[in-house]
Amino acid sequence: MKLFQGSSRRTLLTVVLLTAGFLCVVVRLFSLQVVQATELSKRAERQHEKSVVLEGERGTIFDRQGRILATNVEVPSLYAIPSLIRDREAVVPDLARVLQSDRRMILKRLEGNKNFVWIERKVSPAVARSVMELGIEGIGVLNESQRFYPKRNLMGHLLGFAGMDNHGLEGIELKYDPLLRGEKGWVVIQRDAFGHSIFQKELNYVAPSRGKDLVLTIDEVIQHIAETELDAVMEQTRAASGSVIVMNPKTGEILALAVRPAFNPNRIESQHPDQWRNRVVTDAYEPGSTFKIVTASAALEERVAGPGDIFYCEEGRMAVAGGVIRDHEKQGYLTFREVIQKSSNIGMIKIAMRMKDERLYRHIRAFGFGEKTGVDLEGEASGLIRDPKYWSGRSLASISIGQEMAATPLQIITAVSAIANGGALMRPHLVSEIRDADGRVTQAFPPEIKRRAVSPETAGEMMRILEGAVSENGTGSKAAMPGYRVAGKTGTAQKIDPVTKRYSMQDTVSSFVGIVPAEDPRIVVLVVVDNPKGESWGGVVAAPVFKKIAEQVLRYLGVPPRTQERILLTLAG
Amino acid sequence: MLDRRFINRFDGWFVVVVLLILSLGVLSIYTVTYAVSPKAHLPVYTKQMIWIFLGLIVFFAVAAIDYHEIARWSTFLYTGCVVLLILVLLVGRTGMGAQRWLSLGFFDLQPSEWAKLVVILVLARYFSTRSRLKGLSLRELIVPALWVTVPLLLVLKQPDLGTALVLLFIFAVLVFLIGLRSRTIGVSILISLMAFPFAWEMFWNALKPYQRNRLIAFINPAVDPMGRGYHALQSKIAIGSGGVFGKGLFGGTQSQLKFLPESHTDFIFSVFAEEWGFMGVLLLLILYFLLIWWGLDVADKAKDHLGVFLAVGVVAMLVFYLAVNIGMTLGVVPVVGVPLPLMSYGGNSILTTLAGLGLLLNIKKRRFMLFY
Repeated sequence: MKLFQGSSRRTLLTVVLLTAGFLCVVVRLFSLQVVQATELSKRAERQHEKSVVLEGERGTIFDRQGRILATNVEVPSLYAIPSLIRDREAVVPDLARVLQSDRRMILKRLEGNKNFVWIERKVSPAVARSVMELGIEGIGVLNESQRFYPKRNLMGHLLGFAGMDNHGLEGIELKYDPLLRGEKGWVVIQRDAFGHSIFQKELNYVAPSRGKDLVLTIDEVIQHIAETELDAVMEQTRAASGSVIVMNPKTGEILALAVRPAFNPNRIESQHPDQWRNRVVTDAYEPGSTFKIVTASAALEERVAGPGDIFYCEEGRMAVAGGVIRDHEKQGYLTFREVIQKSSNIGMIKIAMRMKDERLYRHIRAFGFGEKTGVDLEGEASGLIRDPKYWSGRSLASISIGQEMAATPLQIITAVSAIANGGALMRPHLVSEIRDADGRVTQAFPPEIKRRAVSPETAGEMMRILEGAVSENGTGSKAAMPGYRVAGKTGTAQKIDPVTKRYSMQDTVSSFVGIVPAEDPRIVVLVVVDNPKGESWGGVVAAPVFKKIAEQVLRYLGVPPRTQERILLTLAG
Repeated sequence: MLDRRFINRFDGWFVVVVLLILSLGVLSIYTVTYAVSPKAHLPVYTKQMIWIFLGLIVFFAVAAIDYHEIARWSTFLYTGCVVLLILVLLVGRTGMGAQRWLSLGFFDLQPSEWAKLVVILVLARYFSTRSRLKGLSLRELIVPALWVTVPLLLVLKQPDLGTALVLLFIFAVLVFLIGLRSRTIGVSILISLMAFPFAWEMFWNALKPYQRNRLIAFINPAVDPMGRGYHALQSKIAIGSGGVFGKGLFGGTQSQLKFLPESHTDFIFSVFAEEWGFMGVLLLLILYFLLIWWGLDVADKAKDHLGVFLAVGVVAMLVFYLAVNIGMTLGVVPVVGVPLPLMSYGGNSILTTLAGLGLLLNIKKRRFMLFY
């Protein structure tokens, strides 16, 4: 019996339909499995592969002598696999009690269908132990690497800190984060449709590599001296804040950088973010008389005045562009040298007036004001020095004595270091070397000259003038050190009263910047004490701090006093 | 039963094709379930092998009894089946949103699976006695249509859209085969047009929300990739990521990692395609094509109308399942839960498919016998 009763049309139609159907399936399969295969494979991978990032261990930070300033310790972190916890509601009160944290927050973390959540990271071993003693299924401990600063407060602002995920968030830790952090590693975990991780035949694992080590220019001992003396003066004067920078003028290396109020990078949570700030680079202030070093150098460089030129100081009162400028001490005729020695504002202004606005401005910029020093710290301010176009009739006078402008402490010490360095302005820096995990130096930072600020002759002359300021008759006499030639300058800047918008009589910034030994400068030290109570003169407040610091640092560096040298020479002779 | 003549006419290569497809099915079921089989029960692949063993017994049993004898029982079988379908609605076990099974302790009977075979028997018997060369009259169309409608409505009530559609398809194919008188065509078109709005209303209302969603998701799969379009999308990802040569046995990430739902039942084709690749699927399609071809050959060479109609009915059932199931996994047909014949896990599906194939073998081996 023939199918379809001889109807060949229907037979044909059936065969055609069937064949066409199969061909359609083949075409569709081809489209999916050959044409779209790559794309669909990627989609498949995205669905079932999840990579878990493994952070590399952060590099160590050393001081210039190889002392450890920042390192890592292993600390326990508590995690949960919520799906394994039978009764979430029931475990929360226990956890909250042991961890001493909010129930709702813990419950919130345990909710949702995540495969893995942190309950509390980086807890004390004791807390971790008590949580494990609760014996809750689905809760475990993982050791994580935690940044540890063994010197606590010491140079806290400078080092900054690294956060929960070991990413640098402030200071050196932030600036050098990419190097310190090292290469990330990862594990590719396969997961099924329900998000469960599953074991694989081959583990797709890339090990993280350890970050690079940093060697700072900081010397822990000098830093310690600076911080101790800063603490002492802060306590004595009940000042609001203060800072000390010690720099090697020939290289621009920062040997110490102390900021108060203190900051302990081990406990960032308990300290206000305001305290984290490294004021030495982030905050500009009106430097006052210490800035006269720059004005005087400009005048010498421009040859508008010689050290012996005489200026009449108007008996302490001079009218300038409708205002009155006063000296802290009535002076009659003073030489250029004496103007600096006595820190006469009127004398300084008269010297500056021999220059045009433009010329003074050019020299100020040459010393690096109004631009970032380029120090290797985050958040540096460039200070404020307006373009002469916008200067008023009074501006030249004000700026020449360090008012109507602002500079960071680091800019001041960098400019003064140029004088100590024969006129060459160095780029200040904090890191001298970068080393790999095996201790090999991968990158070194040699001293870097930014530009010539003044000629060597001017710098030499300026050094002699600044030595005069630390002499018996100078404002900085309390900085004088037996056996050493000290050059330096005091500064007592009145602060603008935020209410009256006028210079305040009580609020001042006392500072002293000193260079020692003057004949072959080894260190430049800047001491800034913000708002000391009682005596506020830079010569009284800051100069003695300089002296105490410099004495100890020179002894530590093995720079002998001249007297001893002479005695030795005599003995030898 | 198994006399020499039977063995001589035994279509060896046909049985080989069937056994090959069955083995590939067991293998695919094994790769997706070996890891998750509960310890207390028999593993899914073992159960499937037991069903295949039972199915082969049914296969030979059906092949051995003369199909005319079987057709004589068709009214009885039909009545029994309708009773079972009513029982399902009363006391049936509910699973996955549908009430389809009768629990028999060792076995969950799914009467709707058997309804297809019974409907094939009833229709073939009816048409074999009525059909003439000039085609069906209106009355000859309406009577069998009612035969189909009773189980169809009962099945739709469960709901089991796949089975309802296959019943319609079998009916349509047989009517197409016999042909209609032109007057019948005209009147039935008229009736269809008038009845369509009511029928559509009934159809759409009978659907469960998930079934409507499936239809919506089929028209626009991107509507909700995690929800309504999830099955189809995951199936496409699984098949596509298999590429030309596949990921190898046990290498199918999408099916192994359970992204693919119903992987050992309705979506077994996707599992196979992911692990065997384009080449493997071509081989499988050729096997199925041979099976269909052989079925058509049986129909072509059958000695009487009853044989032709029975064979065509079974082939239509197979073709429908293949097209809908594979089309669904490829994302070209809406997701309708129908099994892939001989491959999907499930006792009812395996038993009914093998019984249908047994019927084909029955018709084939009796094409020269003239003893009724």
